[in-house]
Amino acid sequence: MKRQVLIGKNLSLGYGSGNQKKVVLSDLDFNLLSGQMTCLLGPNGVGKSTLIKAIMGKMEPFSGSIELFGSAPSTYDRDALSKKLSVVLSEPIFPAQMTVEQLVALGRTPYLNWSGRLSDEDKNVVNRSLEATKLEYLRKERLGELSDGQRQKAMIARALAQDCPVMVLDEPTSHLDLVNRYEVMQLLQDIAKTHQKAVLVVTHDLDIAIETSQQLWILNCGSPLISGTPEDLILRGEINHLLPSDKYFFDSKRGKVVMHYQKTKIEIEGPDELVYWVEKALIKSGKPFPKDSIRISTNPFRIFCQDKEFTRISELIEIL
Amino acid sequence: MKSNRTAFLFLVCLLFLGMIFLLNLSLGSVEIGFSEVFWGLITDHWEKASYREIVLNFRLPKALVAILVGIGLSLSGLQMQTFFRNPLAGPYVLGISSGAGFGVAVLLLAGSALGFTVGAISPWSTAFAGVFGAGGILLLVSAVAWRVRDSMTLLIVGVMFGATVSALISVMSYFSQAESLKLYTIWSLGSLGGLGWNQVLILAVLVLFGTLPVIASTRSFNALLLGESYAESMGINSMKLRWLVILSTGILAGGITAFCGPIAFVGIAVPHLARLLWKSPDHRILFPGSAVVGAGLLLLCDTISQLPGSAQTLPINAVTSLVGAPVVIGLVIKRNFSKEF
Repeated sequence: MKRQVLIGKNLSLGYGSGNQKKVVLSDLDFNLLSGQMTCLLGPNGVGKSTLIKAIMGKMEPFSGSIELFGSAPSTYDRDALSKKLSVVLSEPIFPAQMTVEQLVALGRTPYLNWSGRLSDEDKNVVNRSLEATKLEYLRKERLGELSDGQRQKAMIARALAQDCPVMVLDEPTSHLDLVNRYEVMQLLQDIAKTHQKAVLVVTHDLDIAIETSQQLWILNCGSPLISGTPEDLILRGEINHLLPSDKYFFDSKRGKVVMHYQKTKIEIEGPDELVYWVEKALIKSGKPFPKDSIRISTNPFRIFCQDKEFTRISELIEIL
Repeated sequence: MKSNRTAFLFLVCLLFLGMIFLLNLSLGSVEIGFSEVFWGLITDHWEKASYREIVLNFRLPKALVAILVGIGLSLSGLQMQTFFRNPLAGPYVLGISSGAGFGVAVLLLAGSALGFTVGAISPWSTAFAGVFGAGGILLLVSAVAWRVRDSMTLLIVGVMFGATVSALISVMSYFSQAESLKLYTIWSLGSLGGLGWNQVLILAVLVLFGTLPVIASTRSFNALLLGESYAESMGINSMKLRWLVILSTGILAGGITAFCGPIAFVGIAVPHLARLLWKSPDHRILFPGSAVVGAGLLLLCDTISQLPGSAQTLPINAVTSLVGAPVVIGLVIKRNFSKEF
């Protein structure tokens, strides 16, 4: 049974006070569940960071309520909150001399006395976090010598060592390459499942979020927060709320965002997946379309057009 | 293996500190043998009665002051660097030395500038003037610390306070008599000597009280390495820590400057040396490490300052910079440590 750990009801957030109030987010309703990864998506400036701030207890709602395990995050004292909620922030501050192990051990801070001495139990937790993130082999490496992906995983390991039921990550994949994006998200999803944590990830990678998360929250200017499993949102077309202009739409067949373009008048014969790419290349080139029809053959890959044979699309485009 | 290296380094540094300590006691206008000092201190049996007088009442207090000042300034510098996350921060960035200087300047210069005379100038009176000056600037900084959330803003305001107060001192120097100006200039060059046992005791108490709050928040300083937001997410009260830092630095840097004048360089350089030696950002290692290195470095500088001709001594403030700056420049260029901070 999945547990509701963070509940927002009619939540309105913003900055300023009195007459100068500037509402950023209004009437949000949400439910963060344990044991699964939830991805928060939305365009830049829509107020994702504001929502994160409210979850971290750094701001009071204008109206409505936000409850972490039954009480507002801003009413928790720092100690108690640091045992409920761990974060990975988007600000990049890394002491280059620190080793991965030392970084992960910092996650134990809420449980330590003034001297910061780790007990055997703390050391065990650190080891388990390193294991869960598959970072044991980097244990003694210094942060300054790691790649961005490794460093981000180390930050996740630190948050894991803090041993909180809720983890919030603000754009953890933003500086990473494609493979590392998948790996980090997969790791977070594993953590959510195996450790029964509620993981909330702010991200801009729609396709990876669809691939890896069990729940999407879509924030858009002026509309309520839409939440649901990625598949539901796709089938009901709600995912298109992420794409404010009509220029783009979510192609549910291919699972990605594509541009609207005029249907071409050219006829292309051949296997579907090849036709797609040839058509795309022709449209992108901006050149006039060939008058004759185009035929594509596989094994070997050839394009036939205007009585000529091409081995690459670029060759065809060149003669147009 | 790593903890072995840490312990070994501590041992080496402590041995070095002991050696420098004995060397420091044996050198001076009257040269007293190394072993003579060693056995004299242990058995209280001296070859000449004058040796006992020289060592116990002149050189020993001075050496102890060097150790206390080295510890105090280094710890104060380390906490400032971590708190402001700025490798150039030091004990004086909040304007404390300028504040103390202002107090002393009022005592030494304002009299001649405004045409009244102050009573006899003693280590006590300059110390009081320094404490008042440093305390005043600390109150101003605290007033700002109440209002601003961002520690960088606090840093800038501290530096600006320092600049303002220095300007006031310049104005006073411009209008004051040559003799009092010289007194002030000598004070501003720093001096570890000239303090009696009473003053050494007070300095020791100040350093102890200034150090305790820092040691007690080792955990918070470690968490602060990741920045204020992360520290707060791990349950650290950064506002409380800010007050501890202001209080501790006020006591350490303020007290030391009041008794010994401004001593440049140690506070900024020693934490970097400790980081390079122990290759760790962990304050459980860096606090004791900086303390040992700081004490050793200042003793070394004091020893060097009495070497030339052996009868005269160089101003300690000049020696610390002359000795230390090349060392740090060399290390920075070789290790590129601005990235390793």
